Parts: sequence; C-alpha cells; structure tokens
Amino acid sequence: MSSKKFWIPILFIILAIFPPFFLSQYWLHVMIISLFYVMTASSWNLIAGFTGQVSFAQAAFSGIGAYTSGMLAVYLGVSPWLGVLIGMGVAALLGLGLGYLCIRMGGIYLSLTTLGFSEILRIIITNEDKWTRGTMGLQVPGFFTEYSKASYYYLFLAVTIFLLIIIYWIIHSEMGLTFRAVLNDELAASSSGINTIRVRILAFTISSAMAGLAGGLYGHYLMLITPDIPSLGQMFLVLAMAVIGGMGSFIGPIIGSFVLEILSEYIRIYGEYHVLLFGLVALAMARFAPEGLMGFIPLLYPRPSGERAG
Amino acid sequence: MTAVKGVDFHLDQGEIVGLIGPNGAGKTTLFNLVSGVFHPDSGRLYFDSRDITPLKPFEICRLGIARTFQIVRPFLKMSCLENTLVGIVGRDDKNGGKEERRDEVKSLLKFVGLNNREKTLAKDLTLIEKKRLDMARALATKPRLLLLDEVLAGLNPSEILQALELIEVIRTQLKMTIFWIEHVMGAIMKASDRIIVLDQGEKIKEGRPEEIVSDPQVIEAYLGESDA
Repeated sequence: MSSKKFWIPILFIILAIFPPFFLSQYWLHVMIISLFYVMTASSWNLIAGFTGQVSFAQAAFSGIGAYTSGMLAVYLGVSPWLGVLIGMGVAALLGLGLGYLCIRMGGIYLSLTTLGFSEILRIIITNEDKWTRGTMGLQVPGFFTEYSKASYYYLFLAVTIFLLIIIYWIIHSEMGLTFRAVLNDELAASSSGINTIRVRILAFTISSAMAGLAGGLYGHYLMLITPDIPSLGQMFLVLAMAVIGGMGSFIGPIIGSFVLEILSEYIRIYGEYHVLLFGLVALAMARFAPEGLMGFIPLLYPRPSGERAG
Repeated sequence: MTAVKGVDFHLDQGEIVGLIGPNGAGKTTLFNLVSGVFHPDSGRLYFDSRDITPLKPFEICRLGIARTFQIVRPFLKMSCLENTLVGIVGRDDKNGGKEERRDEVKSLLKFVGLNNREKTLAKDLTLIEKKRLDMARALATKPRLLLLDEVLAGLNPSEILQALELIEVIRTQLKMTIFWIEHVMGAIMKASDRIIVLDQGEKIKEGRPEEIVSDPQVIEAYLGESDA
C-alpha cells in the first residue's frame, strides 16, 4: 500500500470524529442511518460484487439481526450489547444455510431463491405478531441509558470502520482473490483447485453476519423494530446504493450509501417514490456504467489497473 | 445421449499422448470426465492407482491434474499476476509467504512468455497471450498431468511454433505427462509419443504417430471430413 493510499482513510477517520460538534440532531441522525447503509451495502457487495451471487436477502439478514437482538432484550432482558452479537451469530448461521441451499444456483435462480427467503421471513415477522408485534413494531431498549445521538454516531462509526477493515482485508487477501476467481469464471476457478462451493458459502456467511450485526445496531438505535427493516423496499435501496456507488469496488458502496441516504432526505417530500427513482437510476447505471460512480474516478485519478480491487 | 462410450486408455508418466478425432468425437467430453467436470455413468478413472471418478474438479486439480480450455478461460477482469496466483492458491499448500508466491508467479509468467504483463488485465491480452496465461495458471497448480485442449487452434504459423516450443520445454524441463487434444495434425504427430483416435465417442485406434497416419480406419474417419 502506498503511503498516499494509507493516509486517505486515516484522514477520513479523523474527519469523521467531528460531525457531532457541528451537525444538527437531524443531520446527525442522517449520518447514523448512512453508516448503517454503508455496513449493509458493503457487506452485500462482498457477495454480489465479489463472488457474483446477487442475493436479495441482505435486508432480511439485517432484519434477523435486529429481531433476534430486539426479542432477546424484550423477552429475556438480554443486554443489547450481547444481543447484537447473538443476532450476528444467528444471521451467520441462517446465511450459511441459505448459501448452502444456493450453491448449485447462479444468476437469476439464486436471486429468486433469496427473494423468496426474504419474503417468507417478512411474512413470518408480520404474522407472528404475538412475538414480533407485527407491523406495529417491537419497542426495544437502546444501548445507552442516557440517550444521545453523538454516542450512537460514534458507536456506528466504530463498528462501520471495523467491518470495513475486515472487508478490505478480505478482498485484498487470497480469500478475496478466490472470491473474484469465482465471480469471473466458476469452472476455471474449480479447475484451478479452488473449492468454489466453499468460497461461495463462506462469502454468504460472512456477508450475512455483517448484515445481522448492522441490523441489530439499527434496531437498538431506532428503538422500534418493524418489518420495514427486512423488507424488499429496504433491499432495493441497499442494492441501489451498491450499484450506483460501484459494485465490486471497496469504496463504491460507501459513497453510494452516503449519496443516496442524503439525497433521499431531500426528496423525502415526494413520498416513497425515491426508492423507485433510485431503482431506475441503478438499472441505468448497471446497463451503461457498470462500475457505478467509482467508474468515473479513474478519469480524475488513474489507478493502476488490476493491481487491486479497491 | 452418450458422447463418450467405453473408452479405455492409460497414460504413462512423462508421455505426451495426443487425442485426435473429428469434430464431435467426444475429445473434450473425455477431458471433462478426466477433470471431474462431468462424471461417467459407468467406468472408473484412476490417477496414480487412486480412484478419482467421484471427485470434484478442484479435488482432481489438487491431486495433480491441470487443464487448459478449448476456448480460453482466463479470469478476464483480473491481472495476469492474479490469474496465476489463483493456481498457486488452488494448490492449498500453506507453505510459502506472500513474497515467495509472488516470485513464483513472476517466474511462471516469465516461463510462458508473459513477463512484463503482470499487471495487465486478462481481457486486454491477445489470443495467444490468453492461452499462455491459461497455461501459466494450470502450471501454477503444479500438476503431474497436464490436459491441453486445442492450444494451437486459432494461432498463426509462427505462434504455433512458439507454442510447440513451450510444450517441449514443459515436457523436458518440468517432466510432466501431457494429454493433448489437437486438430493441427502435423504438430501433434510430431510432438506425441502416442496417439489415441476417437470417433463418435469410441476409441477406434491407438498407437505411435507413424502407425496412426497410415491406418485406413483413421483415414476414413478423417476423410469423411475434409479438414484433415
């Protein structure tokens, strides 16, 4: 890593310390939500952008994390700090199962299966209202006894940085190399000694665990968990963030998450149409600019081709 | 549908064996069976007296059988360096640090004639360079048996000479067994120790190249087509 590349993230982390000192409560909230999306979109990018498994279950896994931790807190009095970790574990296990179910599938079949999983989960959550409070939402405790947006901001920031470091490490490791080999050509990867089934399931499990952790944090921040968290609307938003930002690049989903979340605050007055708009933009990008916003960066700052994926 | 039926063959260590036959004879299917892409309905495959019939492609590769593809399949959006590194990672041996592996990749790329192409994406290579890269990736898995599927197809005469030189070096320096499908008859007859002829999924002849070229059955199978 060149010293220039090393200093850029450090600079951003230092800059990220300051927003609570000058942002209004409202914009701090937007930042926190953006960080949630960074975690979800970046973890989705790990399976979709790096192994080519376009899953529609990422929001479902964040919902699994949120509901697991939330219900543990409400019914068993488990601390949210422990709860989010258990939620992450449950999401990882279910991710392992779903990944296993999908190993012989590619393309549209995998997408449809994960979409089905996601809908089944949403229906269960909506209907089992004795436990989940259905569409009314489940009221859950927060992390801090004294509510402060700044504390949540730093918590989200720390976990986001932690997950991003793991993702960065994965995609630049030999594991990431095998991810991309599977994405490029599964048969060639398999014929070169790569256990492609293991690679795909591993990616699915890691990605689901991360989404579960993000969802758990999100639930305890909002203190109200609703079936909107594991909804397809949420999924499409996450997908649009990764695609518009740039799938298959490390920075793309981070940029996409902030841009779309902040943008959606401005166009919120037009109702729920912003998801539709983002969906259309994402479709257009996927067709005409598959590298997303990241695809425009080499025009400003050329990066060595192929040397790294970030 | 049966693409390959009752083909019985063996390869001796260090041999170059050519597999020829008209289009649709089942040559590539036979390779897919050996490399585990398909599994045979009946019959067994042994490698070093070990039954590899039920194994998956990656397991077969780790046992020491690597292949190239008729239509080249490098990882297009990855650099030559990364492509070759996949083969090394595929060996699944834990020895060798990052630097060591990188050096190995560099010497492999140099070996196949792709030095100074390390950072080039595979999609930006010419056809012969892609074939060389496929070869480097296959060699990176440290095979003892190399399956080459029409490496000469689509190359011009001078490129064919270069490719043949490379194969000769692989045989003499790396002492690998080579099982080789080829349509360029002059080349494969010259380079092979033994030739197996397939026609319509069945082995119709096996023998030294000079026996094959004069065999009436082979000539008939080929002259039924006109491109022999």
